[in-house]
Amino acid sequence: MKKLALLIVLGFSAASSAFPQVKHVEMRVEGMT
Amino acid sequence: MKQHLGRQSGVQSVDVSLLDGKVGIVPKEDARIDPAGLLKATFDSGVSVAEMDITARGKIVRDNSGRLALQTEPNRSFALAPNDQSKALEPLAGTPSIVTVRGWLYKKSAGKKKPEPQGELQLSVLEVQKKE
Repeated sequence: MKKLALLIVLGFSAASSAFPQVKHVEMRVEGMT
Repeated sequence: MKQHLGRQSGVQSVDVSLLDGKVGIVPKEDARIDPAGLLKATFDSGVSVAEMDITARGKIVRDNSGRLALQTEPNRSFALAPNDQSKALEPLAGTPSIVTVRGWLYKKSAGKKKPEPQGELQLSVLEVQKKE
C-alpha cells in the first residue's frame, strides 16, 4: 500500500514537472492611466 | 485593467508598472493560461497593447498545415513565425525535446491607431532559453 502511494506521488510530481507550459507573459501597453 | 486581467483563468498575479507601461502576468502552477484571452481582456478594458511577449515551455511540432509550432499543452500550440530562431528549432519538430523560448506573440503594427489582434497569434521567437 505504501509503495502504491509512493508511486502515485512520484507519478504526479513527474507529470507536473514534465508538463509544458506558458511560464510568463509580459505586455507593453499604451493609454494606461 | 488589473482587475480585468486578474479575473482571467490561469492568472496567478498581475504586476502593473505605470511608469514604463509594462504589465507582467504570472500564470498559476497549472499554467492553463490563454494569452489571446489576456490580449482581448486588455483591449476590452480600453488599453491599447503595443506588444505582448511570452516565455513558454513546450515541444516543437508541425501543425496541420505543416508549419512549425510550439505546443505548450496537449490541445494548445502557437504557430512560429518564420525567422532565424525558428529555423534553428526546425530539427526538433516531432521529437520529444522540450524547449523554453521567449518571443513576441503580438506586436502593434506601425501606423495603426487602435490595432486589435486579428486571427491567429504567431509567436516570433526572440530567444531559445533552454533545450531539454
